[in-house]
Amino acid sequence: MSRYLIRRILRGLLTIFISVSLTFFIVRAMPSDPVSLMVSPQMTPEAQQAMIEAYGLDQPLLVQYGKFLVQLFQGNLGTSFSKHIPVTEYLLQRLPWTLMLLGAVIVLVLGIGIPVGVFAARHRGKWGDRVVSVMVTLGISVFIPFISFLLLYLFAFRFKVMPTGGAYTPPKGEGLSYVLDVAKHLVLPTVALAVTNLANAVMYTRNGMIDVLHEDYIRTAYSKGNNEKQVILHHALKNAMIPTVTVIGLQIGVMVGGAVVTETVFSWPGVGRLIYDAVNALDYPVLQGAFLLLAVAVVVMNLITDLVVAWLDPRIKLGGK
Amino acid sequence: MKKRKSGFYYFLHNRNGMIGLCGVMLIVLIGLIGPILIPKPEGYSTDILQAPSAAHWLGTDGLGLDIFAQLVWGARTSLYVSILTLLVAAVIGLPLGLICGYTRGILSDIIDAVVDIFLTIPMLPLTIIMAAIMGSNITNVALILGIFSWPSLARVTKNSTLKIKEMQYIEAAGCLGIGKARILFKHVLINASGPVFVNLTLVMASAVLSEASLSFLGLGDPTTWSWGTILKRAWSANAVITNPNPWWWWLMPSLCIVVYVVCFNLLGTALNDTLNPKGR
Repeated sequence: MSRYLIRRILRGLLTIFISVSLTFFIVRAMPSDPVSLMVSPQMTPEAQQAMIEAYGLDQPLLVQYGKFLVQLFQGNLGTSFSKHIPVTEYLLQRLPWTLMLLGAVIVLVLGIGIPVGVFAARHRGKWGDRVVSVMVTLGISVFIPFISFLLLYLFAFRFKVMPTGGAYTPPKGEGLSYVLDVAKHLVLPTVALAVTNLANAVMYTRNGMIDVLHEDYIRTAYSKGNNEKQVILHHALKNAMIPTVTVIGLQIGVMVGGAVVTETVFSWPGVGRLIYDAVNALDYPVLQGAFLLLAVAVVVMNLITDLVVAWLDPRIKLGGK
Repeated sequence: MKKRKSGFYYFLHNRNGMIGLCGVMLIVLIGLIGPILIPKPEGYSTDILQAPSAAHWLGTDGLGLDIFAQLVWGARTSLYVSILTLLVAAVIGLPLGLICGYTRGILSDIIDAVVDIFLTIPMLPLTIIMAAIMGSNITNVALILGIFSWPSLARVTKNSTLKIKEMQYIEAAGCLGIGKARILFKHVLINASGPVFVNLTLVMASAVLSEASLSFLGLGDPTTWSWGTILKRAWSANAVITNPNPWWWWLMPSLCIVVYVVCFNLLGTALNDTLNPKGR
């Protein structure tokens, strides 16, 4: 277990390091002057000079790289051009909203995707399975703004049962009514972002389940007198879920990218919407910081899915794979 | 010779594949010929937010510009972006994938690790940074998308190369004294082409999705029409939730994107089924 875990953590750290280096070199490789990308022209000359010195922007590339890493390690991502506050502070205000959205998506994907996948596997080839597979094909090629627009049009505009955007109805309430209000605002963005992952989860659970149901130990479980429900819940499901969880882990990077678009459409106040605002304000420090934060989030979530896979598949712990 | 004929035969009789192929050919035709016949929608006119009619087949937008003309011009942009992205991804990804699968050693390990890491990093935010810094111009966007699309292609190429290099005919070719490079390109690559073709169609489909997302976020080229740009304009004008609703403005470009992606996916699946004899 420990060797597997250490290898995964090392790879995660390497991924973060490469993301950091990418942002550094992308900014420097461009024909434009890095000073103009890191230091706002609206700052006072003293503040500008302090930034240039902190990042060594007038020094050789390697020195700059070292200083960049030191600043980053201290949690200093620069100052936002548009809000004039430290990027780190700005990002951390927004992070909980994005994590809430991603968490809701994962709950939806697991809570609906796995039962539907099991259903399709049990009714393989019958019309229930066919309906599911058509939905899956459509779900995989969906374009997030499109599904968002459809949801908004139907539920916010036609039937008027859902809010059109934002995370709560101002003024900000308190207690239970606030929680319910946020939950109501969370529904449409969650559904819009979950569709692709849901389709993937259904497909992989279905195929995984079909494979597992042919195994010898399933026949053994039946011959011991278990009924279908017991066999599926206690013997088949845990094994059938290995590919599903692996694929959810692989898709997390894509999901975070989708969150940028979803949060933009629904004015959800997370890191994604922040990226949209930063693009329009040409706020480069915020863009870089947001990318790094999302990269770290992806690495952490990947690590969690790796742990879940190791729990589902004990062979991994022994170093077999 | 006989075998090739039968592969083609299977492709012609794959219903989904033919639907995909016809769809792709139609889009290519529209993208190539449409902009010659239909003038580029520019400026503004007085026919604001007209519903679909004989004069404006798919209605008009908030500036009174014809949506159908915008979609036709957008088809050309989508094709251009997909093809350029595909070329960049193939030039980087194919050789790296072949090397990674065919050789054993430090180089192959490094490529493998880099591909692993690039597949984890959230790509959309990274392309957003690059597009914001490089400036929104359709060629830049396609180059950026290509630079970040190669890892999946390299991985797929590596996996099929790994399988093929264990085959006896590759060993036989080695025994005959044929050079490594020739074996790699003439014998391995050709036989690994099934999954590689599928991945190439996926790259083309996802390039259009990414370009549309970038345009939607305001990083599109302001001088050309793309389906994402039309959506962005519709969204900025609150077209989805205003009354009366100009549904044609946001629905039509969305449908174009979905049809494009579905056609490429169908084509890719059919190619896989025909190029891989076990799938027939």
